[in-house]
Amino acid sequence: MTLKHIYISVIAVVIIALTTLQNDKSKETYSLKTEVAPVFAGDVIILEFSSNSNNMVQLYCSNSYGSVLLSPDIENKVLKFHIPESIAKKSGVLNWQLITATNPLEGKIIVKPKPSIKTIESYLGPPSIEAGGTDYTMLVVIPTDDLDNPLADSTKVQVKHQFLDNQANDLIFTKNGFAYKNIYSYQPSGRILISSESLGLSSKEYDVNVMPAIPTDFSIEAQRIHDYADSNQITTFETSILKDRFNNVISDGTFVNFYITDKNGNKTVTSGASINGIAKSKILHPDHEDQWTVKAYIEGMANSDSITLDYKQAVSDFEVAFSEGNRIINVGPLQSFMNQKIPDGLVVKLKVYTNDNIIDELSQESYNGYVKFKLNEDRFSATKYNFVIETAGITKSYNNITYE
Amino acid sequence: MKKTSNKYLIAALLIGIAFHGTSIFFTLETTYDALIHLFFADHYSNNWFEPWNPKWYTGFTVMSYPPLVHQSIAALSFIGGLKFGMFTVAIIGIVLFITGVYRFSLLITSSRTVAGYTAILAVFSSSFIETLHIFGQLPSIIGISILMHALPEIYLWLKTGKWRYIATSLSLIAVTVTSHHVTPIFGMIFFIFPLIGMVIMDDAREKVNSIKEVTIKVFINSFFKLLKRIISFGVLSLAIIIGCILPYWINSKNNPITQVPIPHGSRDNFIEVTSSGLVFFIIPWGILLVLLPYIFYRYYSKRHLFFGLSITMLFILGTGGTTPIPRLVLGETAFNILTLDRFTLWASIMSLPLFGEFACRFIEGDLKFLIQSRFGVVFHRISGGILAGLFLFMTIFTMSLGYFKPSQPQKIKMLPIVNFLNQDQHDQWRYMTLGFGDQMAWLSAQTNALSVDGNYHSARRLPELTTRPIERLENSKFKGVEGIGSLQQFLTTPEKYNLKYIFSNDKFYDPILYFCGWQRLRQLENGIMVWEKLNVPPLSSILPKDDVATWQKILWGTIPFLTVIIAFVLNVQFLLVHTLKTRKAIFPVYMNFQNNYSKFSRSVLRITHIWSIILAVIVVYGIYLFYLKNESHHSPENAVLAYYDALDFKEFEKAHSLINPKSELSISQYMLEISVTDGLLSSYAKLESLKTETISQTNDLASLKVITDWITPLEKIEKIDFKKLIKINDKWYLQPEDKPSDLPPDQLYSDNKTAYFNQGRRRITTEQTHHEDVLKQPVLEILDAKLVKYKGSYAIIGEIQNIDNVPSDVVLKGTLYNDNNKELATYNAKYHLKHKLLPKEVSSFRINFEGIAWSKTKDSIPNTFDPDEFTPVELEEQPTKFNLQAAGNVSGADLFKNTAVSVTKKGDKYLHGNIINTGTEEVTIPQLLISYYSEDKKLKWVDHLFLEEGLRQQRKQSFKYELINDAPLKVITNDMSNCFVNGLPNEAISNKIISNRIINHNKEELQTISHKKYDFIKIEINTYIGNPN
Repeated sequence: MTLKHIYISVIAVVIIALTTLQNDKSKETYSLKTEVAPVFAGDVIILEFSSNSNNMVQLYCSNSYGSVLLSPDIENKVLKFHIPESIAKKSGVLNWQLITATNPLEGKIIVKPKPSIKTIESYLGPPSIEAGGTDYTMLVVIPTDDLDNPLADSTKVQVKHQFLDNQANDLIFTKNGFAYKNIYSYQPSGRILISSESLGLSSKEYDVNVMPAIPTDFSIEAQRIHDYADSNQITTFETSILKDRFNNVISDGTFVNFYITDKNGNKTVTSGASINGIAKSKILHPDHEDQWTVKAYIEGMANSDSITLDYKQAVSDFEVAFSEGNRIINVGPLQSFMNQKIPDGLVVKLKVYTNDNIIDELSQESYNGYVKFKLNEDRFSATKYNFVIETAGITKSYNNITYE
Repeated sequence: MKKTSNKYLIAALLIGIAFHGTSIFFTLETTYDALIHLFFADHYSNNWFEPWNPKWYTGFTVMSYPPLVHQSIAALSFIGGLKFGMFTVAIIGIVLFITGVYRFSLLITSSRTVAGYTAILAVFSSSFIETLHIFGQLPSIIGISILMHALPEIYLWLKTGKWRYIATSLSLIAVTVTSHHVTPIFGMIFFIFPLIGMVIMDDAREKVNSIKEVTIKVFINSFFKLLKRIISFGVLSLAIIIGCILPYWINSKNNPITQVPIPHGSRDNFIEVTSSGLVFFIIPWGILLVLLPYIFYRYYSKRHLFFGLSITMLFILGTGGTTPIPRLVLGETAFNILTLDRFTLWASIMSLPLFGEFACRFIEGDLKFLIQSRFGVVFHRISGGILAGLFLFMTIFTMSLGYFKPSQPQKIKMLPIVNFLNQDQHDQWRYMTLGFGDQMAWLSAQTNALSVDGNYHSARRLPELTTRPIERLENSKFKGVEGIGSLQQFLTTPEKYNLKYIFSNDKFYDPILYFCGWQRLRQLENGIMVWEKLNVPPLSSILPKDDVATWQKILWGTIPFLTVIIAFVLNVQFLLVHTLKTRKAIFPVYMNFQNNYSKFSRSVLRITHIWSIILAVIVVYGIYLFYLKNESHHSPENAVLAYYDALDFKEFEKAHSLINPKSELSISQYMLEISVTDGLLSSYAKLESLKTETISQTNDLASLKVITDWITPLEKIEKIDFKKLIKINDKWYLQPEDKPSDLPPDQLYSDNKTAYFNQGRRRITTEQTHHEDVLKQPVLEILDAKLVKYKGSYAIIGEIQNIDNVPSDVVLKGTLYNDNNKELATYNAKYHLKHKLLPKEVSSFRINFEGIAWSKTKDSIPNTFDPDEFTPVELEEQPTKFNLQAAGNVSGADLFKNTAVSVTKKGDKYLHGNIINTGTEEVTIPQLLISYYSEDKKLKWVDHLFLEEGLRQQRKQSFKYELINDAPLKVITNDMSNCFVNGLPNEAISNKIISNRIINHNKEELQTISHKKYDFIKIEINTYIGNPN
């Protein structure tokens, strides 16, 4: 010990002695009279202290619910503190401290939950899981007494669930106030109903939807009225029943993209959403002979094999007539595969060139098998033109048509 | 001298109250401003002493407008409701105006008969009618009326120096300033200064024998004699003006108006914009225009010289942008902030006494004798008839303007909206109205819910609003690019404002709502469509506010009523004495300066005649020009203009009447053809400009190139049409056009689809998170995301997939950071995303980082409209990382996916293709999302294209898409470690659900293109269904 330490100690002793001497006259003492034993939640708790004075002191109480300062009833130098019900009904540790200047007293009371059950609080989540046995949902059960305290640890809880023909019953025990159980999905999709029971009291019913897992590869087929490229009828694509790897039909509304590639490498995308596992999608027939390669995808998950579809030329040839100083160009009759007039709406394109420079491209839809182009004099002044007429994949050129 | 009641004044009051008092019930609620004042009144009725109002903008202070009128309405509302208060205050305003004009006229003309005439004429004055029945400017009317009451008191103070008069005049100025702040400030310059001049002149006149002897020297002597009174009045009234609404001035200083100028019709060139000329010049002046020579002649007489200068100033300032003078006089800033119509209002009010004087002299005075002696009795009667007829015509015309050209949409029943907001805690979010006009203020007054928008633009603080020259978001379509641009910012990032509900009264906005990711909730019984946005957090229970000191609140809540009480106490004696004639009153001193009404100047009469003829010629010529411009068959240009106009306003019968009657296109066929066309252009476009070029024209035939600009909510469309016209019976008609003839294969066909219904709360409870009814958020996966820089702006692009089993609404929010993890910008995906995804569906996306448009470069606001205009955010530092938050919410709305897209031709610059509708709904607006891929099939850019025309069922439509150019594009980062789905890391989710995803699964299905930089594209289609079956 250095000199400094001794020096400080001496001063400290002197100060303490002085203060004790000063306070000696008014020294108050307190002692706890009540025997502190564990109590049940909701019991009346009174803490009694004996004292040598009738001075007012306060008791500080604190538990999981909050903290209060209590004032005593004083009778014959006995201080009586009534712990308020709001504090006393919470299970757990109740800390108390007597606030005095001289001899602070403190202690704690263990408040036990009531042994009888009143309600079962339970939580479940997530509400939907994936089929296959790896995904699960968790049930959390908290049996509580009538004061909303969780029952003592190791309370027995039965967790029951039903799925298709299975009905299971698991025993779990509470720890830290609650019990939980992971319920794993089964391979089939469907709905699991879950409930729990503790000390003869049953919880309400919960349900969890077991959704199908991601789809697996499938096949597609096409349906059409005829195989002519008439630009009017509709071809329908259809998938086989889409299933996941556990043979569950995938959810309704699953989106399937059908990619069509034509002879020139141009793509068409059409799509469908599944119903009962089958996704259907439609597309108009092409307007010229073509071969389509079709493949369907559920992106990143599954796809079909590709199928090929051939479309036969519907319009084999057409005539072009010029009139009124070549300013009216009549295309037609446009005849389909049985020599019938093609249904209205076949697009005929007229490209107008002067000296190999395209100056305009007109397009018109057929009506009653004909298309009539009118080239007015304001737009097309008097000079020489070359015309290219395209429809149904057929191209016809007329060169050196002169306008006056 | 025995004083009798002025019968003219009593008649004016009776007629005025009967006429205006009944008609306000049909006009006031459809005016521009009345409902705004009602909203303010509602605020005071709920919180008299609390100036902060959270209902508009994200909170604003009502200390930004003088409170007296609002507080009066609020006080009266405790008796009979807000509207009772408003109408009562309006009637008080009418009484104050008529009596005010009477007193002002008495002051100017010193003749009780003339003042009586003036009072009657004031009742029907077109400027007063316009201000009350069309503009609804109650505080302005009350302000100017009280000011007119104050003028005689000020005169008497200056002239007599009796202390009583300074008390009365200051008390009235105090009332003026608490009802309207601009009136006393400008009233000082334009009314009180000339009045001071007049007092000095009168004083000088008393010193000499006749008005002619008043020289500058005499005038200056009088000026110095009165100087003490003038200065004392000036200082005290300035103190009153500042003191009575001190919190207002403090607030103006603390929150200076940052608002960029909002265009106002009163600043237009009235010759170019004739509608503004009508409303802000012709109507307020009305018949006074004919009397201008007389008015100027009289006000430039020696006694009224200063009024002459004042009215000249007012007249010129009131002409707005017609001449450059107002801009020079006021300066650029004041010119752009003030609405100049008030100058014309004051000028017309200042003219009223002379109008009365003229009428008096014309009806029973010297003018009558002069005309009768020179032109005969008949001429006098006829000219009297013409003048009276013109006067009544202007009165009726002004009154009916609101009826024939409504400034507001039809009256909306608010109750269903109020109920909706109260139900199911919908008022926990902010709302916005679209297409409500000024009625939005009435809705705000009735509900506790808060609106993002507001109707008092001087008070707003959000930079998104103050940097745009728009009045309200609500009518943004009328404000061109600035309007729609501002609206888009609110629609794209509604979370920022807790904006969840939109009440739409205008289908114009539907497409923009859809493409910004909003969905229709339902139509209320009043026909208002409710739109909703998912994933918007509710308002926090404590909202920020700008608090002010308690003394300011007390001052604000008490002073206005105190000024009224003091003014009443001080003036009540005068009132009682005058109205009840309890004792003989002496005439005020200004009555001693009566004009000589015995000899009407012949030259003034002559000039008035010449002026009338000039006016008549201008009017007739104007009508002729108007006829030429509006006669639709007059020229090919007129016919085309009228045709497009008719189409724009959906007047199809009129449009049909412009089509060649010999073309055998019947009206029913025409209407049928119109009814089957839908799409962005035909259903959601507003014609902005039309130019015609005549390609050729002969006597009977014409060919026109028509270049039209259309505003749509999504983008600006320029269209070029070639129209042929034919002249039949001297009238020009348009030749009809061919209509598509495509015949679909099926007459009736069926289609199955999966429908979804979200119960919301299964149990009827207001519990906010009822555990069992919390719906699981669908799981999404961000497949690809990268930060790129293209053409100087940054964007996050990528792909997102709904990997859940239920359809999902997708909200994507991107944030940019620099190397030091400092947040630089945040924005949501707007158009470049399919906001609704079916299970397993993929959408490409792009998040643009938009700044608050033009916040930095105020002067470069483009004049032309382009809703698609994009202002890249200005970043101070280089972003190097990004955070991407995807949120899924179950939604069963807008899941139409039956549209196919095909490529038919690949050019260097353009891509041609078709879209085909194979479903059962008509597609109103198809949108293509085009993703560009590099040679190694890596995503590089996402672009979009809106197609102008709708797509009917089982039909095909071609499109032409311009490929992006090969401007350099830099991928800054493709680090996806900060991508989150519903708050959870993207990678963890994807590993759990799709552990063995097929990478680059359909990359082989990408479309090849011939482009210098990009080898592949992917086209996706997103469709807006305007009218779901």
